[in-house]
Amino acid sequence: MNGTGNGTGNGTGNGARTNHRFLWISLAVLGASLSVFGTAMAAQASGGDAAQETVALSKSIGVWCAALLTIGILTFLYKDNPFYKVCESILIGVSAAYWMVNGFWTTLVPNLFGKLAPGLVREVAIPSLPVSETPGLDMALAFVPLLLGLMLLWRLAPKGGWISVWPLAFIIGTTAGIRLVASIEADLLAQASATIRPLVVMKPATPAGADGAAAVGAAAVAATVGALDFWGTVGAITGVVGVLSVLTYFFFSLEHKGAVGKSARLGVWFLMITFGSAFGLTVMGRITLLAQRLEFLFKDWLGLG
Amino acid sequence: MDTNTHDRQGGGGGGSFLARLGGIDRRWIFLAIESIPEGSRVLLAFDYDPASAGELQPMANAMVHHCAARGHKIVFMALWPLGKQMADATIDDVLLEFHPNYAYGTDYVQLGYKAGNEAVVKLMATNLPQQYSTDAAGAALSSLPLVAGVQDLAAFQLIASISAGYPGAKEWVQYANSAAPEAFTLVSGSTGVQVSQLLPYYPAQMEGLLVAVKGAAEYEMLVTAKYPSADKPELLAERLGQGRVRMGPQLVAHLLMIGLIILGNVAMIAGRSRGGAR
Amino acid sequence: MLQRTVPIAILSLSGLILMLAYFSPMTTSWGETVLEWFNILAAVAFVLGAGNLLAVNLEKISSRRPGWAYAGITLVSFFLMLGFGLLKVGAVPNPEHPDLHFAGSYDTAASPFGWTYEYVFSPLTATMFAMLAFYVASAAFRAFRAKNTESILLLGTAFVILLAQTAAGMFLTGWIPEDSMFAFLRLDWMKVAITEHIQTAGMRAITIGIALGVVATSLRLILGIDKSYLSRS
Repeated sequence: MNGTGNGTGNGTGNGARTNHRFLWISLAVLGASLSVFGTAMAAQASGGDAAQETVALSKSIGVWCAALLTIGILTFLYKDNPFYKVCESILIGVSAAYWMVNGFWTTLVPNLFGKLAPGLVREVAIPSLPVSETPGLDMALAFVPLLLGLMLLWRLAPKGGWISVWPLAFIIGTTAGIRLVASIEADLLAQASATIRPLVVMKPATPAGADGAAAVGAAAVAATVGALDFWGTVGAITGVVGVLSVLTYFFFSLEHKGAVGKSARLGVWFLMITFGSAFGLTVMGRITLLAQRLEFLFKDWLGLG
Repeated sequence: MDTNTHDRQGGGGGGSFLARLGGIDRRWIFLAIESIPEGSRVLLAFDYDPASAGELQPMANAMVHHCAARGHKIVFMALWPLGKQMADATIDDVLLEFHPNYAYGTDYVQLGYKAGNEAVVKLMATNLPQQYSTDAAGAALSSLPLVAGVQDLAAFQLIASISAGYPGAKEWVQYANSAAPEAFTLVSGSTGVQVSQLLPYYPAQMEGLLVAVKGAAEYEMLVTAKYPSADKPELLAERLGQGRVRMGPQLVAHLLMIGLIILGNVAMIAGRSRGGAR
Repeated sequence: MLQRTVPIAILSLSGLILMLAYFSPMTTSWGETVLEWFNILAAVAFVLGAGNLLAVNLEKISSRRPGWAYAGITLVSFFLMLGFGLLKVGAVPNPEHPDLHFAGSYDTAASPFGWTYEYVFSPLTATMFAMLAFYVASAAFRAFRAKNTESILLLGTAFVILLAQTAAGMFLTGWIPEDSMFAFLRLDWMKVAITEHIQTAGMRAITIGIALGVVATSLRLILGIDKSYLSRS
């Protein structure tokens, strides 16, 4: 009795036959959906009311297709199974093609081929492609990314993999160059500046007394700078202490003993609160995604609610 | 919904701690879009995909309706390949549905997606036409009045990134805001997962931050309260009510999480006492 | 030299040009050109990824490794989507140039590419991420143990945020007046205090630390000290 391995597809016995049966059923359903859809799209060319009917038909087929694929992915929660594997394989293939098509039409055609052969691109794909003031220079410069791009694709070749290191070096160098300055500006200096704020926070100024008389003493101070904002002050001090203590925790050149150790421990507590809060926000995000899929299944597919 | 803080009128980034307490999520984005002059040029970056649409599509819908209701001219773009189609869906479902007077080329433009991640933002910051010579449909930018003559990001009064991760709002802060900090207002709507990374930028580098679906729901409420639709109120409530609808399951799910954590700890303690008793 | 010196020189030169572009208007245009090349290479990287996918799955099919049928499904769906997109099958004609097939829009819902995005790609991606909700619940039950002060702090904060984000927060503590001395016990106020002050402080320190790391790593790469990327050749 083969009680195990039904979901593993290891090519032996009853388990393998079950897997292949699942696979062929899934492919048959997918093929049937696609052929009906293909017929619908072809019929759409006839126009008129028939076109509206076929649009509704293609949408209905689409919703069913989406629902079956959604359920296929969700079956993984029970255990790995061929239905899930089929859906996963489709996702991998479709997403790779999607990204490649998008990269081709949005970037390669206008920004590369549009400079190497602008006339051809205008004639075939983008008639409104702007005319360059320096077409010769643009074409010459465009040979650089063309060459680097071909060298990058050489990575797929069985030999000469070192050729792809040149464009990789270019990519790494460019990334390092822009990130270096951006990090200093936005993540170092601006953050330090945001931390160094007044520790004593005052409320906004209050107006003069009801009788219009000029305020005196503490009231005069309040009239110009306002009263002490207690919780604002606590918040400001907390912020500065938090940043410094967490930075102390991440400073490993000094042993975490004595005052440094206590500061590092306070930093750890700040980090624990940070991560606890991050977890709470993450839960909300994940639940929303699930809620959206269940909305689709119950409202759009089954028409409930 | 936090109705107690609904009426509190905080200042734009100022005010005491008490006054700002209720304002961190939806208020500052609302005020940011309200405070720029009517008819301003606004850039909306759709930096997310269908995987995060549950949280971010409500924000996108509300933001587009808000901008259009204020008469702002909207330029759509995407740093994620699928972001362009999220933007297209928003244009069809919200912009053209509730603001049919919006004309392509003069009132809104779809620039589409470009590969390059943060390099796209960096290049747009100084030379937008070099990055986008045409719009998503292939029309030259010079033929579109809204973006003809736009040289860089300083031409926009507000930039909003609806962001699910990398590249997203962080890159807009690092490469766009740093390049021209006084030129435009930068705001963002973010998923719950990513918001931790963005909190340090608020409010000095990013004036408004919508946090997860709660922020989306609160923002939807503010926008639909101030800018209702006279002829399609039910449709507006449906299209700009997704965030509020998705808040419903949150209560049960969050209580379930708390329950699971407590249960797990009870099991741990019970296991320990049984082990100690033996 | 071709395998070591030239790549190091390319890396250093591209990095330096982009650093210089920040500091001088005269060099800004050089940086813009380099960035345009970078964006083109990013698009070529998608082609490389697709090529790699083809290579791996074809090898799996030809050697009949277990699960090779799934590799076949991957390739079939890849080629179908690629054909719909690259050849713009069924594309909606461009209203201004209706006779130019490749000027049409391939990603609207009326085209096969757009249909596949809407009803195949989009639900699959969304559902993959939706499953994370179950993993979070599983992790909450299995892994979150209040064993020491730090974990109690983490869990306590998580409870505050989880409650404050929903109606439960208002139900439990919404009755406390905002202007009373106990207002700090309101869950919504605690949430704002945590996120605006404590979480921001922690993340700010992490951001500063990451920035220092990025600066150090970038400098090491640009100065040619770090050559780990060369080991791929």
